[in-house]
Amino acid sequence: MSIQRHFYYKPEGEQKKNLSRRIAEKKARLAISGKRIWLALAATLIFASALVLCGSGTAAHASQATSYTYTMDEKGNLTRTQDAYLPDQTITDLGLNNPSDLFVDDDNMLYIADSGNGRVVKYSIGSGKIAGILTHEKMTNPRGIYVTKAGDIYVADPSAKKVFCFDRNFNYLESFGKPDSPNFSDTPYEPHKVAVDNGENIYIIGEGVYAGVIQLSYGGEFLGYFTVNKTRLSFIQAIQNAIFTRAQLENLVDRVPPTFSNIFIDHNGIVYTTTMGDNRDGLKKHDTAGRNMFKKPVWGGYGSMTDVYVDEHGIIYTSSHDGYVEVYSGAGEFIFEFGSYVLDLDVSGLFSNLPAIAVDRNRTIWTVDGDKGYLQSFKPTDYALMVYNAIGLYEKGLYEKAMEQWNEVLRLNQMSVLAHNGVGKAYLHAQKYEDAMEHFKVSGDRDYYSQAFWEVRNRWLQDHLPGIAAVIAAIWLASFLIKHFDKKGKIRRLRKKIADRVSSVAVLKDVFYAFRIPKHPLDRYYDIRVGKSGSVIGATILYGLFFLIYMLYLTGKGFIYQKTAVEDLDINAIVLGFFTILGLFVICNYLVTSIKDGDGDFKQVYMTPAYGLVPVMVSMTVVTVASYGLTYNEAFLLTVTLWIGIVWSVVNVFVGFMTIHDYTVRENMASLILTVVFMMIAAIIALIIIIMWDRLYGFLQTLVKEMTRNVFG
Amino acid sequence: MYLVKMKKRILPVSICLILGLISFAHVKAVYLPTNRDTKLPPDAVTYDIADKEGFEPLYETDILAYYFREDRDIFLIEDKRNGYTWKTGLDIPFGADINEQVMNAKDAEEAERLAVPLEDAMNTTYTAIANSLITVEYDEGGTIKQISSASREMVESRLLTLNGNPATRLLDVDFRNIDLQVKVGITLGENGITYEIKDENITGSGKSVLIAIDITPFLGASGGRLKYYNPETQMYDITEDKYMVPGYILVPDGCGSLIRFQNNNVSFTMYYGDVYGKDHTQDTYYTDRLTDAIPLKDPVMPVFGVAHGNGQAAFVAYADSAAEYMQICVRPEENLTAYTYVYPRFVYNTTYFQVYNNKGDGYFTLMSEPNRMDIRITYEFLAGDGSDGSPAADYTGMALTYRKHLIEQGILTEKFIGGRTNDIPDIASSSKKDTDTASDIPIRLDFLMSDSKKGIVGTEEVVVTTVEDVRNILTTLMEQYGIKNINSGLYGWQKGGESLAKPYSMTFSGKVGKERAFKELFLEFAQRNVDISYARDFAYINKEMLNYNGNAARHVNTWYLSLDKSVVLPKNSPVLYYSYAKPEKSASWFTKLFRKVYGYSKSVTVEGMTKILLSSYTGDGLELSVTDVIKLYQDTFENADSNVKLNMENPNMYLWKYTDRYLSSPVGTSQYVFETDAVPFLQMVLNGTMEVYAPYSNFSFYTQKDILRMIDYNVYPSFILTKEPSHLLASTPSADLYSTEFSNYEMLIADVYRQVNEALSQVAGLRWVGRTVLDNGVIKNTYEYEGTAAWIIINYTDETYEYNGLAVAPQSARVIKIKDTVTDDNGTVWQATKNEAGAKSIINCVNESAGPKGGTGE
Repeated sequence: MSIQRHFYYKPEGEQKKNLSRRIAEKKARLAISGKRIWLALAATLIFASALVLCGSGTAAHASQATSYTYTMDEKGNLTRTQDAYLPDQTITDLGLNNPSDLFVDDDNMLYIADSGNGRVVKYSIGSGKIAGILTHEKMTNPRGIYVTKAGDIYVADPSAKKVFCFDRNFNYLESFGKPDSPNFSDTPYEPHKVAVDNGENIYIIGEGVYAGVIQLSYGGEFLGYFTVNKTRLSFIQAIQNAIFTRAQLENLVDRVPPTFSNIFIDHNGIVYTTTMGDNRDGLKKHDTAGRNMFKKPVWGGYGSMTDVYVDEHGIIYTSSHDGYVEVYSGAGEFIFEFGSYVLDLDVSGLFSNLPAIAVDRNRTIWTVDGDKGYLQSFKPTDYALMVYNAIGLYEKGLYEKAMEQWNEVLRLNQMSVLAHNGVGKAYLHAQKYEDAMEHFKVSGDRDYYSQAFWEVRNRWLQDHLPGIAAVIAAIWLASFLIKHFDKKGKIRRLRKKIADRVSSVAVLKDVFYAFRIPKHPLDRYYDIRVGKSGSVIGATILYGLFFLIYMLYLTGKGFIYQKTAVEDLDINAIVLGFFTILGLFVICNYLVTSIKDGDGDFKQVYMTPAYGLVPVMVSMTVVTVASYGLTYNEAFLLTVTLWIGIVWSVVNVFVGFMTIHDYTVRENMASLILTVVFMMIAAIIALIIIIMWDRLYGFLQTLVKEMTRNVFG
Repeated sequence: MYLVKMKKRILPVSICLILGLISFAHVKAVYLPTNRDTKLPPDAVTYDIADKEGFEPLYETDILAYYFREDRDIFLIEDKRNGYTWKTGLDIPFGADINEQVMNAKDAEEAERLAVPLEDAMNTTYTAIANSLITVEYDEGGTIKQISSASREMVESRLLTLNGNPATRLLDVDFRNIDLQVKVGITLGENGITYEIKDENITGSGKSVLIAIDITPFLGASGGRLKYYNPETQMYDITEDKYMVPGYILVPDGCGSLIRFQNNNVSFTMYYGDVYGKDHTQDTYYTDRLTDAIPLKDPVMPVFGVAHGNGQAAFVAYADSAAEYMQICVRPEENLTAYTYVYPRFVYNTTYFQVYNNKGDGYFTLMSEPNRMDIRITYEFLAGDGSDGSPAADYTGMALTYRKHLIEQGILTEKFIGGRTNDIPDIASSSKKDTDTASDIPIRLDFLMSDSKKGIVGTEEVVVTTVEDVRNILTTLMEQYGIKNINSGLYGWQKGGESLAKPYSMTFSGKVGKERAFKELFLEFAQRNVDISYARDFAYINKEMLNYNGNAARHVNTWYLSLDKSVVLPKNSPVLYYSYAKPEKSASWFTKLFRKVYGYSKSVTVEGMTKILLSSYTGDGLELSVTDVIKLYQDTFENADSNVKLNMENPNMYLWKYTDRYLSSPVGTSQYVFETDAVPFLQMVLNGTMEVYAPYSNFSFYTQKDILRMIDYNVYPSFILTKEPSHLLASTPSADLYSTEFSNYEMLIADVYRQVNEALSQVAGLRWVGRTVLDNGVIKNTYEYEGTAAWIIINYTDETYEYNGLAVAPQSARVIKIKDTVTDDNGTVWQATKNEAGAKSIINCVNESAGPKGGTGE
């Protein structure tokens, strides 16, 4: 419960950059998970409201680590967990200068590409001593290193424009210069990183090579590009593409795909790459054809991945330029992140620049600070080992044992999404669906939850089929009997009597009138126009009702379909947005139609949307209720229902405005478009006023402060 | 027949061979210590009797002899116990002077003779700093410059004798370039030297640009590189490292940290330890933010030290006045100079950013009112390995010396040594009355009851523990697991929960329990000797909690302090920005809130204001300085009901007098790269004067090594618990309590408590007098009181450790308790006593061990 002071400073710009990157990242993840058409309305409303409104202890528990360890929660946000790694050895006496790559061979020897000194340092992890120094007269700037199973050392040197190859005793074997293939003639060749597969094909990341990963045969022959990054256009670039002429496009800066930052080949010959400046595809695992094997985009740190390493258990480790280490399972699931950026402090485990990562046989992570030139190792804690063990057991199909391990993990962190998922999956395999659902609910895995729920529902249906059939039969029988025996229509009359009594209350009559609109909107709105039916109070109640149903729809759906928790919604923005947009719409429409000879008065303009909302209210209610009983397989039912409601309501409102203003379709369309334009103008004016007022306030404040300081002070 | 015989032989021989091969192949796992461990002691220092040329004798005591060199302002202090000599400065000539001499030499021969070796990487300014008694930092056009009492020019200094007493001196320094006069009072004491700089003794217009005063920065410095004159090139182009004195600097970073003297090869940034933490009201900016990096730890006591060699010579320095303005600074080797050195820096003024509009525009400026302080700092010198009963010349000796000083000052009282209980009636009953009867150590079990998250309308309380849950959990632990000595703090008991309740509010959250239910709970458990208390933070506030107007602390630039926690809190947390309460408010809230509960609560738990020290500014300027605030807090706690115990979270030294339980004491350091060891310095200082607790074991402090660390550091276990699963807290500001559910922890609580209790209950009532590293990862702690002695051997390694024939299982601790023998922390002496009383001591051994394999009694 303690909060400690003393903070790490970064330059203001750097802090903001990191924070905004982090927030943007979190937002992007939310956006990915939340892309469902039937949430479009909500999103539109929130977005619109945001536009209108934009004018407007953590406890540091004594930890043995120096940075917090994060894992991902069910919403895709980073959340704190037990320390996964502790800073272990900090080795400062190797005299490294701008080290840029690391590799651990099968004998637990660490190779460091010591770029600034033009050498490769072989460091014995076991003895903590330098085991050898590799130099070569032509090797001036080694930036990438890879050691094959046979012990051959490959060094990429962009300054020498070569990849050097040495044997395990540092004897020079050969070097690979620029391939003389005609396909390669125009491409710059400055090898930056290198990896070698089991067939001794060489994979090279070249500086300034946008075409992809250069692949050479063991003889140095150019085989082609193994894999490429795609160019992603920004919104503006896409618009430019659409409207610019070829000549104009040629004048623009080249749109090139992000270049790879590193490459690694694991024990099984699988190629992994990292890309900087791309947080969706920052880390990729490639099949033999170079395609990305990760189905979902892997969360790529902060888009600044510098290196990737994969241990013999298939766990993937990456490093980020700004000092973070991320760990993923072989399937690309995010496991941990730790580390942090510091500028002017030398604290173990924090970095000012983290260019490389490697992992030894004991699962110790080795990193190096590119600026300071010291090695830093991290030892996994019991907690991390437990997680890895559980993942390993699960991958081997030992679900029961994996579950035991996951339960241990849960004891230490009840919020662990990975563990809940692990236990859930194990239960799913064991056909314990209810238990599985419970864990998937905590882990937020709606796909698996839906699968388990399908089974549970199936069982329930099977168990209760006779009962359900009996209830249906009973209802059918009852209606049949009523029809048969109630020939005098007593019950029908009773129903009518109740309806009449309800209708006798004017307000209720006005409200219930809305239910008559969907069937014959033209006629019913005509009644409103001539003042025969409907009232302002009725409309207000309808708006209130719609708002209630809408809020219920936003917050109260079944787990599978309720993507956002109440605490994650910006309720203020929704409420304000809802009523601001409504108010603005009504006012703008009234103003527009006043100019455009609309017949409707302000009251009618106010009432029209309200009376058209019944279909969407019904469909939202149906969707909200049905979401408790449906799985993902039936998602389309909900989507269709919602859209029917929305379209029907829109048609109603459209017809309503047409009727009350006595417009043609064309006139009506024009007035509505104009209304929207007016609304936008009003929003922009509001924004400008707010900003101007803010400036004025700031100016006055400065003036007063200066006055008090200089005149009275 | 022969073949049969051969076969018979071949089998055992081959078995032996195979076994031999296996054992040969089995390489012993080496324990590689990290900077969270304590490493083996440094090598012995080799030294000669110092050359006293140029020094005049001043004064002599039984232990020390003082000399002074006027031109360089250096005291030479000779320790008569072992002849070791300390110099308050490096005692080196100015390079410029030597160069001048060499340049003006008549011929090459004379040049060679005059060209004495020069210090490498020491310019005129640093040479002056390295020699001088004090260095003044001052502001000149926005940059900080330094001038020292023995600078080459623009300074005059002279040493005067006060009242004709050779032991009291005054160094009168006139810094002419900035018109600043400083008089340093110097007392040459029996064991050490004391410096006093009173506020009234700093005069001149230069006071307005005075930034800080540094005292004897190079005392105890180690390292250095010399440049030698090359007659061939007639240049100083031969460099050679000086003898690096083996040893270390002790800084009170966290539990205590050693910075060993070593060649770094890399230039590290400096260590700045703000004693009692930073005064945020005088920070450069009024806004601050937390990041993913764990905050650095602040020194809670104004003390540091240097040790040379292995139990040979050391000093410990502590401030008795102006500690609140003190920074402990360490410059590691390769940073500007080739030396590693430590010094106290007393801060008078600081540059801050004056903001004048909402946009944040502003300018940098100095404070118009510099801090006022009377500095008083003492350096006590230690010699020897402690075998003569005096404090050893290492960090343990420093701890014992400082502890003794604090006891003499009345700040600490030995409440739990030798069964003495003094004025603490309640706790003592559960503590030691008879040192021979091992009684249970206490355990701290805190509960989080509720916190708030965003709701559809406003915020919504998330209740994770009710009064009834607390009752059930404590009963379970007492009855099922037999844990009796429990004390407990309740968090989030007020309406609004932990993060949103007003600090002074006595409104109870109905869902957690009404006041009556709490009262019943407190009284019921008081009868069972379990002390339950309300816990409250009085320093951190937020706008959801209360209005900042009149409550929040202002920066010197008059804006409210702001702490951005958006990176570390969940993004849907109801609050993301915090501020600090005005110190007067913290004090009055404490009094207001707890006055109402003194009737039925036997203790109260205070957070925040115990470790945060701020000045109080109003729109018009300074209202209370940190010195005033210390006095205010001391008065506040002094006036609290004396029958109620005060549980304080990580309190600063000025509150130790009032502290009964020291909660979440640090067990590690900030882990600067150049910090080589972590040592339980704080715990040794506090031992036996109050109950000291470890950080919560819930969060990355639960492994076997952590349990051993509790035993090693003599701290009691603590946990924070909830009844409900902690994932319910995910959207509250308490989301960092990600693992608290009791049902997951009961076994671990029982296990941790059993292990720690088994070891520490046996040394309760004894005084912790020594700590030795026997091997990497093996620690021996020595406890002693009036002839009763005990050792705890803590084996952090994965191998069994043999200690004088007694096996200490891997990753376990073993207590060796001996009656009626004279304790000693030295292994050799232990052998000697063993000859005499060896059989007896073995007979009387009480062997207990804690570890995964349980007892290994022999």
